[in-house]
Amino acid sequence: MKIDLLQSSGCAKCLREISDLRIAARAVDPVVEWREFDILQAIDYAVELGVLKPPAVAIDGELVFASLPTPEALAAAMRSRLGA
Amino acid sequence: MGTSVQASQHLTIGKLAELGDVSANAVRFYEREGLMHAPAKTDSGYRLYDLKAVERLRFIKQAQHCGFTLSEIQVLLRLRDEGSSCCNDVRSKMIEKKLELEARVRSMKAISMSLDKLIADCSDDARPAEYCSILATLSGTNKSTSR
Repeated sequence: MKIDLLQSSGCAKCLREISDLRIAARAVDPVVEWREFDILQAIDYAVELGVLKPPAVAIDGELVFASLPTPEALAAAMRSRLGA
Repeated sequence: MGTSVQASQHLTIGKLAELGDVSANAVRFYEREGLMHAPAKTDSGYRLYDLKAVERLRFIKQAQHCGFTLSEIQVLLRLRDEGSSCCNDVRSKMIEKKLELEARVRSMKAISMSLDKLIADCSDDARPAEYCSILATLSGTNKSTSR
């Protein structure tokens, strides 16, 4: 499973929450491919996903969260995909 | 002229409009839209503006040039007015606008490519317009492909 996080730099609150999300994702899938993008550096990819504002989270190339999810919500979304 | 304005700092709507390079009607419109603050009338019945109004007017105009809508400009002005906002809040708004513009550019390019295809498909320019493959495609009845 691949998780892409698109964010803008300079968001200190995001950095703390992202760390929790990474831990939650690895708990669900230890081999998860976790990628973080600066949205301005990856603007084409962000537009392709349909991101309207950062931060946003895509799972396997699909925009799933238009804002930072809670670790629980991310874990649930991952489990539902693993189960599908 | 600039010094006389500095000295008095009380501008009529006409003078404000002139300094902001807009019309007086535009100033009134911005007031109705809540972008500009309308000062209370003086005893003599005039609304007099200060130099901050000129700065605000120029801000609105510049933001419009950058492609911001009036409601987006209102948000930017609120960020500017609020003491609790920080530079990162403004930057976030710019990133949102950039994402919107990039998405629009992408959509326009896709439309342009569709037009390329329509143009390429229309090879016979001597046929009457009723048999034009472009018009047929647009109306969903492409006769040219049947013949």
